[in-house]
Amino acid sequence: MQALFNQIRRLTLFEVALLASLLLLAAFLALPIVFIINHAFKPYNELFQFPPTFLVKEPTLSNFYDLFLRSSASIVPFSRYLFNSIIVTSISLFAVIVSCSMAAYVLSKYRFGLKKAVMAMIMLSLMFAPETVAIPRYLIISWLQINNTYFGHILPFIASPVAVFLMKQFVDQIPNELVEAAKVDGASEVRIFLQIVMPLAMPALATIAIITFQSVWSDGQASTLFMQDETMKTLPYYITTLTSGANNTVAGQGMAAAAGLLMFLPNLMIFLFAQKRIMETMVHSGVK
Amino acid sequence: MNARAKGMAKLAYKWRSYGAGYLFMLPWMIGFAVFMAFPIGWSLYLAFQKVSLSGTGFKYSYIGMQNFKDALFKDNEFTIQLLVFMQQMIFMIPIIIIFSLCVSLLLNQQFPGRFLFRAIFFLPVIFSTGQVLTELFQQGAGDVPFIAQYGIDTYVTENFSKSLADPLLNILGMMILILWSSGVQILIFIAGFQTISKSIYEAVRIDGASPWTSFWKITLPGVKPFIALNLLYTMVDLFTFPFNPIMEQIKSNMFNISTGYGYASAIAWLYFIFIMILIALIMLFLNSSNKARRA
Repeated sequence: MQALFNQIRRLTLFEVALLASLLLLAAFLALPIVFIINHAFKPYNELFQFPPTFLVKEPTLSNFYDLFLRSSASIVPFSRYLFNSIIVTSISLFAVIVSCSMAAYVLSKYRFGLKKAVMAMIMLSLMFAPETVAIPRYLIISWLQINNTYFGHILPFIASPVAVFLMKQFVDQIPNELVEAAKVDGASEVRIFLQIVMPLAMPALATIAIITFQSVWSDGQASTLFMQDETMKTLPYYITTLTSGANNTVAGQGMAAAAGLLMFLPNLMIFLFAQKRIMETMVHSGVK
Repeated sequence: MNARAKGMAKLAYKWRSYGAGYLFMLPWMIGFAVFMAFPIGWSLYLAFQKVSLSGTGFKYSYIGMQNFKDALFKDNEFTIQLLVFMQQMIFMIPIIIIFSLCVSLLLNQQFPGRFLFRAIFFLPVIFSTGQVLTELFQQGAGDVPFIAQYGIDTYVTENFSKSLADPLLNILGMMILILWSSGVQILIFIAGFQTISKSIYEAVRIDGASPWTSFWKITLPGVKPFIALNLLYTMVDLFTFPFNPIMEQIKSNMFNISTGYGYASAIAWLYFIFIMILIALIMLFLNSSNKARRA
């Protein structure tokens, strides 16, 4: 801490310049956010303006009214998609964190014969084009008879190779001596995992939580392929129907903009939450 | 005698830990086997088949290496796109890594509003997957509209020679893509910085090292494993990016009746083998840097 404060006090001209450029880049990066928020509040005449404007001139809530009221008259109301999305995302998030962190702990701290093979498989699936597994997955889902159930949404996400990989890399940084010391003191495996590895791996946990959340929350594939029942589909699917196909109307564009903002806000929230966790754990971090 | 007893105990102990280990891995392993490993294996099988859709379902017929031969020697789109894409990658990956390293270094400093900055730099990650990004691209926020809007492009072409202006505009055009794909990398770097003890910096500072040297001598070697990790992550991220031209091709071939799913699988496998070779090189780097660090 002290060292960092001293560094700040000795801000050189070079560092000030860097900070300024950081500010500039941040402003540049924030533009899409400004856009997505403003877009949702635009009335029709501004939505279709060319060239597109960034800031809304006459903000209106009519897009949101359309989204909630008009779509409730259709067969499946907007709230149903939202409900599905929330259920699927929350359960998947929990399941992924539990299963992946456990697997990562074992992969990192144990020595066993299959380890190399498992790591190779993870690397393979990391690099494999996700589109290609869609049809085999569909066949498996229908063979398990879990299409049109929440399981069909959740189960394919549990085996997230990215989460395990990131987690494993982070657990690798936790010294083996720490785990061994706990073992010598008679801690059980579950206890080592819960009380030593998990708290130390909190930053990585937060990272995989963010990654998992946004991939599940914005995934439309499961709804398109595995769900035939309209009442089981999720929000991202609904948004695509708004802008494509028969529903592509003027009102649809406004509704899509509003729904886009609604899709984006939870991402922002979970990020802010996870970010706080990362900061907390970094302060108390006992890694090294 | 004592040593042997110790060895036996060690073996028994190890055996016990193995059991617990497998149990811990079980839920993930099952999910992985069913939803990742098996479908991937299946697609390998399909790569050797001609898949056609009949009234009752899929119809497979074995055609050997024909799909692969077609992809490499007959399909003049796939090979060219692969090469073009590679050129882009060689350009983009170092930029992304260096950029995210710089930004994470700055974000690791103590300054007011750091929390907000961190949030802003990570936000693109939230966009850059799936639906939201598609939406943004459709609505035209993706292609740096302000470059044309504020006349930056004409300014560049008027003030620089053509040979300088073209690459400059190219980089500007890719800027959003580069910035947008560095969020996770920044996060990984920031997490990586936390593994370097503060007392080391203090010791070096007392010894009279400037922040500049302490970066080169302490920070950079310390985060070397994380650089490798980021390198891997960036590559995988870019290679499986839904807007990348190869992905588009795989998708379009999947639903193309004349080529079909078997051909798409073959392309995917070729693409994968290609990436695999690159990743293997990076893994070598990752392993050697890990070893150097432990030594």
